[in-house]
Amino acid sequence: MRARPMAFALLLLATTAPTAAAQEAYPARPITLVAPFPPGGVADLTARPVAAALEKVLKNPVGVVNKTGAAGAVGMQFVATSRPDGYTLLLALSSIAIIPEADKLFGRPPAFTVDQFVPLALISADPTILVVPADKPWRTARDFIEDARKRPGQISYSSSGIYGTLHMAMELLSHAADIKLRHLPTPGAGPAITAILGGHVEALASGPAAVIAHIQSGKLRPLASWGVERHPALPDVPTFKELGLPGAEFYIWAGVFAPKGTPAPVVARLESALRQAVAEPEFRGAMDKLKTPIAFRQGEEFRRFFDADARRLAEGVRRVGRVESK
Amino acid sequence: MLETLQNLSLGFSVALSPTVLLYAFVGCVIGTLVGVLPGVGPLAGISLLLPVTFGLDATRAIVMLAGIYYGAMYGGSTTSILMRIPGEAASVMTCIDGYAMARKGRAGAALAIAAVGSYVAGTASIVGLMALAPPLAAFALRFGPPEYLALLTLGLLVLAYMSSGSMLKSLAMAALGLLLGMVGIDQMSGYFRFAYGLVELGDGLGVVPVAVGLFGLAEILATAGQPTPPGVIQPRFRELLPSRREWRESTLPIARGTVLGFLIGVIPGSAHIISSFVSYALEKRLSRHPEEFGQGAVAGVAGPESANNSATSGAFVPMLALGVPSGPIPAVMLAAMMVHGVAPGPLLIQQQPALFWGFIASMYVGNVVLLILNLPLVGLFVNLLRVPYSYLYPAILVFAILGVYAVNGSVVDVWIMLAMGVLGWVLRKLDFETAPIVLGVVLAPMIELSLRQSLAMSDGRYAIFIERPIAATLLAVGAVLVLLSLRTFVRRGRDWRARVVLAGKGEGP
Repeated sequence: MRARPMAFALLLLATTAPTAAAQEAYPARPITLVAPFPPGGVADLTARPVAAALEKVLKNPVGVVNKTGAAGAVGMQFVATSRPDGYTLLLALSSIAIIPEADKLFGRPPAFTVDQFVPLALISADPTILVVPADKPWRTARDFIEDARKRPGQISYSSSGIYGTLHMAMELLSHAADIKLRHLPTPGAGPAITAILGGHVEALASGPAAVIAHIQSGKLRPLASWGVERHPALPDVPTFKELGLPGAEFYIWAGVFAPKGTPAPVVARLESALRQAVAEPEFRGAMDKLKTPIAFRQGEEFRRFFDADARRLAEGVRRVGRVESK
Repeated sequence: MLETLQNLSLGFSVALSPTVLLYAFVGCVIGTLVGVLPGVGPLAGISLLLPVTFGLDATRAIVMLAGIYYGAMYGGSTTSILMRIPGEAASVMTCIDGYAMARKGRAGAALAIAAVGSYVAGTASIVGLMALAPPLAAFALRFGPPEYLALLTLGLLVLAYMSSGSMLKSLAMAALGLLLGMVGIDQMSGYFRFAYGLVELGDGLGVVPVAVGLFGLAEILATAGQPTPPGVIQPRFRELLPSRREWRESTLPIARGTVLGFLIGVIPGSAHIISSFVSYALEKRLSRHPEEFGQGAVAGVAGPESANNSATSGAFVPMLALGVPSGPIPAVMLAAMMVHGVAPGPLLIQQQPALFWGFIASMYVGNVVLLILNLPLVGLFVNLLRVPYSYLYPAILVFAILGVYAVNGSVVDVWIMLAMGVLGWVLRKLDFETAPIVLGVVLAPMIELSLRQSLAMSDGRYAIFIERPIAATLLAVGAVLVLLSLRTFVRRGRDWRARVVLAGKGEGP
């Protein structure tokens, strides 16, 4: 009975404090940044330092709310349908482009569509890394691909779930390299890593931060990266682009979005505030601890990145098609 | 050995420093409260407090969050015993016999045994965590989908032991639970099943709203439906403590629950919830008076409550030794470490000895704190029963709704809880038991996923379940259990035939 009153007190503080400010100027009320995944995930861990830095820049409370469920669809739908006044923002991951496409595939009414959002800023974009257990014979990505060609459907990999980001990365590679792998979906990125460490699958596409400790301890071997450039933390690991597979490009990215229809002055204010926020030393320090490089992009640049990514992912989803149950 | 003692003394020097001690204490207090409040479980509690820890250093943050986790296991039994509302999901089993004990006026004894069992299990399992973490973690990782399915099959067999009434009715409820567990996104193909266009149903029916509805709300409705309210229990002080017989009957269940809970807790993906179910079934199987289960058997409180506590220590094994989350709660704690710049992974114990050993030592301290905190509270909590129902039940209802809403901030969860409350009430009227439904809801998604994952791994060959040694062993144990119960069946049959023969002889010459 202690935890609740504290939360209520915070809420009360948050709702009463800013009313003193001028009513018409944005922001006049606390801003909610919705993280559509549970605490501790990439979205949550990025949202919290972003919110803290924004709060400092805007001199206005910014709270993170975890609205979770259905692989992020619940939170994203919530923001898509909330009032476009700049007080409800979304911190989304790459999956924002996948979910509507999967909905289309199954012929169900989409929970939301990408054009219901205005992209404000890209915060981070980390390429996935192909890792295999260290006791496997493949020394290079070429070994792996050649072996996969010889044994179609025999080499297995784990993912964070069907149509999830880690599944899509592997799917883009399979298509680019013309190989067929066996897919083992798990309920999240954590279980996917557990599966490869336990020797239940033979490959995994993972965000670098989640596997670097296991690479350093010699349990996993990195073969290649999905980035355009080599990853700074793994300078010896080539990219698929270098290996002649430019189609295998994939990032786990995090960006801030507002609902469509948010007034232009508010969007402009938020964009400039986000630009200042990512320059805050506390923010840089927090992202550094998470081993996630900042990849800040805005405006046209972010829109281009987002469109290209959404196109790639939509194609990927369509190529996987509807998975018939086994 | 000497090295371990040196490390432990380092750990205690960290854990007993005033600030770390303070955070361990705060964590334990919050954990107890989170456990006591219906609906709000340790995951919600830790998630709510994760941002608060960002200002602390890594050791303090981890010590506090862990305190919430195991503290919740202490507190979870309270409302289960007093009001038949599971404070968190792992206390569902305690509702059955704990509440039955309370109806008999033994609420104090049940609470005290739950606290002492939790203490013994909590402390003993830290020894296991300390001594066995690295080898056990490596073993736990070998639990892939086929092994997990074998374990869950054992869990299903447990269902047969759940009921104290009709076996047929109990199996029917289990089947209903398994069906309810099918709601949500199919993890292998992405289909929405039985969601009726509600995105919120994508993750299925949560265990918390189902359990709080079926147990707590149903109980409230049933009481309200009686023409005369049941007499308020007036606990007397000398009845607060367990009797000698109750202590004796709980000793072995506590010991077995500790070992069992620890082992199940270590396995990745497995929840502390299952440990309490399995412990309950084990105690019923081993008991000389299985008919007492459901009517207030002490072992039915002591075993599961010990098991869910030692399962929390078990869950830390893969987290600390390998940096692998064994469930959602350790996953949040791993994230907390990363936020503080501590890289979780196989090298954690060497690179951060002060954090690791400080954490271990703080768990010893925390368990003592919790025991000191909880035993005197028994008297206080039992006094809640003196409050007339007309005041107590509306208050509980409010807390249950708030708690269930707080977990995901979802109104749909509240509706699920209310619907389950009505369902539970109807089923009670028809003399069905509701515990098997909860077990079905817990098990169904896990069984389905691990079965289909196994078949995806083997490309559709069922032989995978007997080719892998751990899975084969577990299935063999399950088969032996089935055969053993068949044997008693046959023997009883023989007894019956023997009696007929004897009767025939008597009628003879």
